[in-house]
Amino acid sequence: MINSPIKPQWFHILLALAEGPLHGYGIQRSVLDQTDDAMRLWPAMLYRSLATLEEEGLIVSVEAPDEEPDDERRQYYALTTDGRLRLAAEGELLARWGAAARQAGAPGA
Amino acid sequence: MSPDGRRRLFRRLVALFPPTLRRKSGPEMARMYEAMYDEARRERGRPGFGFWARVLWDAGRHAAAAWVAASRTGARGPDGRRGETMIRSIASDIRFASRQLTRHPLYAGMVVLLVAVGIAGNAAVFRIFNGMFLQPLPFAEAERLVDLDERADEWNLDFTGMAWADFQAWRENNRSFESMAVFTSFGRNLADEAGAERVSLVAATHDLDDVLRLQPLLGRFFGPAEDVDGGARVVMLTEAYWTDRFGGRADVLGSALTLNGEPYEIIGVLPPEAELLQAADMWTPLQGSGSGWYLQGLGRLADGIDAAVAQEDLTAIHKGMLQERPVNRITTPVVTPLRERFLGGNRLGAGLLLGAVGLLLLIACANIAGLVLARSFSRADELAVRQALGARRGRLVRQLLTESLLLGMAGGAVGLAVGLAGSNLLVDLLADANQFPLWVRFDLDAPFLAFVLVVTVGATALFGLIPALRTQPAPGAGAAGRSSTSRGRRRAMQSLVAAQVGLAAVLLVVGGLTVLDVRRLASVDPGFRVDGLLTFRYSLPSNRYPDDDSRFTYAATLLERLNALPDVEAATSANLMPLFDHQGWFFTVEDAPPRSQDEGNPVVLMRGVMPGYFEALGLELARGRTFDDFDGRDETRRVAIVNEEFVRSHMGGDADPLGRRIASGTDRPEDDSEWRTVVGVVRDARHYGVDTDMRPGVFLPQQELAFSYGQVAVRAAGGDPDAVVDAVRSAALDVDPEVPPYALTTMADRFDQTLFTRTASAWLFALFAGVALLLAVAGIYGVISYAVGQRRQEISIRMAMGAERVSVLRSVVVQGMTMVGLGLVGGLVVAVAAAGRMGGLLVDVSATEPTVYIVVAVTLLAVAAVANYVPARRAARMDPMGVLRGE
Repeated sequence: MINSPIKPQWFHILLALAEGPLHGYGIQRSVLDQTDDAMRLWPAMLYRSLATLEEEGLIVSVEAPDEEPDDERRQYYALTTDGRLRLAAEGELLARWGAAARQAGAPGA
Repeated sequence: MSPDGRRRLFRRLVALFPPTLRRKSGPEMARMYEAMYDEARRERGRPGFGFWARVLWDAGRHAAAAWVAASRTGARGPDGRRGETMIRSIASDIRFASRQLTRHPLYAGMVVLLVAVGIAGNAAVFRIFNGMFLQPLPFAEAERLVDLDERADEWNLDFTGMAWADFQAWRENNRSFESMAVFTSFGRNLADEAGAERVSLVAATHDLDDVLRLQPLLGRFFGPAEDVDGGARVVMLTEAYWTDRFGGRADVLGSALTLNGEPYEIIGVLPPEAELLQAADMWTPLQGSGSGWYLQGLGRLADGIDAAVAQEDLTAIHKGMLQERPVNRITTPVVTPLRERFLGGNRLGAGLLLGAVGLLLLIACANIAGLVLARSFSRADELAVRQALGARRGRLVRQLLTESLLLGMAGGAVGLAVGLAGSNLLVDLLADANQFPLWVRFDLDAPFLAFVLVVTVGATALFGLIPALRTQPAPGAGAAGRSSTSRGRRRAMQSLVAAQVGLAAVLLVVGGLTVLDVRRLASVDPGFRVDGLLTFRYSLPSNRYPDDDSRFTYAATLLERLNALPDVEAATSANLMPLFDHQGWFFTVEDAPPRSQDEGNPVVLMRGVMPGYFEALGLELARGRTFDDFDGRDETRRVAIVNEEFVRSHMGGDADPLGRRIASGTDRPEDDSEWRTVVGVVRDARHYGVDTDMRPGVFLPQQELAFSYGQVAVRAAGGDPDAVVDAVRSAALDVDPEVPPYALTTMADRFDQTLFTRTASAWLFALFAGVALLLAVAGIYGVISYAVGQRRQEISIRMAMGAERVSVLRSVVVQGMTMVGLGLVGGLVVAVAAAGRMGGLLVDVSATEPTVYIVVAVTLLAVAAVANYVPARRAARMDPMGVLRGE
């Protein structure tokens, strides 16, 4: 079990890919949605994170899905099994911490 | 920047990344930057400084991190090889440099401070320069916009304003404009249940929206059908007025406003850019008619046509209508690019300021170069050891450069922050002083950021590269070799002293001349008493004040009320007050020889004044008398008062012009009652400001020409015009609640405003000169201290051999002062050349004003002497035997 969280932007990228493969722009939009516009991934930050995550084996580059028009030849990314496991573990960790934090803040604690 | 330019810029940014990442994601990254730019533009308008700073930060930070990561893991592929070792060694250079610098915080701090001073000045001045001359104007394809006007050399006028008849002919017949329009601005009283309010209007021909390419925010623009004499009364609200007064409600369309008692239908709302042309609450059709030159013209050139060609085109039309408009013999069309017309006069001053901060930066660089040199000499041992251990010379130079670069960038960042704060202050001041057209903005844009970056890098290269290249630690050069090369080093450092002194001399002379000039101007006697005067304007609606009698009665009643106020010493009114506006008439003198065709007929400043005008303003009478209550009342009392310039220009400098007769117009009147007898001569007052020549002037009594508008001056009894504002305002509203006083301002404020640009730039020059002086002194002190330190052995030996302390002192000071003297002479020569190019920036001071040069020379010599003497005395005081034994 992990005990230190990954960088927040990595977490959100993995989370964005959990629903299926996306290209860079799609990831940027999805993270904006997840975070209510609080986290805007600027291009260099986004693509460098993608490169690192790919090196770590958490995501992989995939072909564009058939239904998408391929006119701009965008690179799509998808979660690997490792990535999926890591995201789940991360979620566990955050949930544990979250529960502790909520308890601390609850009245009568 | 064009979309293509942006695309190239983003591609170049992306090229900063290591090859693997660049190849895989580069194009997508560049596209994403573009998409983000477009999105930001859609949502918040043209992205400015903030956006570009984010982009640079994002790309720069991650490109650097990606390179470091690539070097750590070892970039794959054959072309990754070279980059890898390069990056690795640069990273180690940076680490090494920062360690070195944290060990010498004083040195590092000094360099950062000096760079910051230089960059701050440059950033601040460039921001203003950029806003004035480089930033695109906030209208579509603004480079094709030109100002249209007319010139009349014979009338002594560079710009007469445009006449309606001329505009019609130009618009109809030109072949070089896509569109052209004329407009003018004025005020009206808007009355409703809530009371009376003064609103400002632009009256424009229906083509102004085409010229500026404006789209209405709401409703529509007025069309040709409404823009005819006697056409429908309609207005478009500006966005600001619509929001403030109507809360931005769409249902204002179709409703009516009452302006000066007449109903006007609201037909649309203007886009925000419209307010940048001219501050106004609403636009209305010009419905042009009449004569006179009073219109402002604006044209959009056809594609590929330049202003000169367009001017020829219009001139041909203009001169082709002499038959129906003989006056066009005198007037000529003038077509000037918009920016040139309104800012051209400031180009020289702004350019010189930019030059001044450039010099300041050079001084800072020379100063830093001295520091870096001194440090590199004192590190000669360290460098020699490292070279002996196998470090290549290139690597050592790179290391010194890396240090300089780190310091330069840190200084640049601090300087940028300080420069922004300083320029914000300047921008606010400029806005308050109302000096420029509203379309001049001072946005922080990409070129601004690029300028700061380039200047910082350039300065860093200057102070970093020269010492780095001079560093030639020969093998074995260490303590033993020091004295053999010390002569060359000393010379390098001394020439830096000369350079700093010279540059500082240039700045001090320019600063001294401008400050002396504004001080002289500010103390020029304007010819009337500026202090204690409150001024305001009023304007009478024509439906309630239809004739001269009613208007004169209003003015007389108003003045009576004001004069009765306890805190008012005197109140008077006229069509215009000194320092405000101009109204030009022509005059003919009865017994003067007729003017020849070629001789100009100078325009005369015409003022219609109420009794007490001269006394209230403190205008001095040279001869004769002022107006009394009966002047101008009937044909037997047609009188005029003239100024001294009028006597010179129209009456041949007559020593006693009293009793001679003049008439308005360029021709002798047929009716004898049109002649007016001169009853007084008034001393010239600087009506147009103390830095501008006076025109001939004639005063007529308002009894015979009562204006529908007026400017009132109230002299406060206590000397504080602000103290009477409330009383004056309510007295005016008592006389007529529908005629609100507006544009309340003190004469003193107005006076300061006329000198604002000169004062502000003089103090900036002075500030830069002061900083330059400080830097130069610090530089001299540093170099001499260092040189003395280097010469300790030599000096000790000479003293041990019996040299007097005084002679040691003298030799050090003489050597230092020789350099100072050389620099000073060179600097003064350059300063004479620079001052000679200041042209109109100096009014009352000659470019070779000896006082300034003498003061600068003496000041520089004096402070340089002190900066030399202090380290020299330290040298003379040292214990020679102690030094020698210590070796």
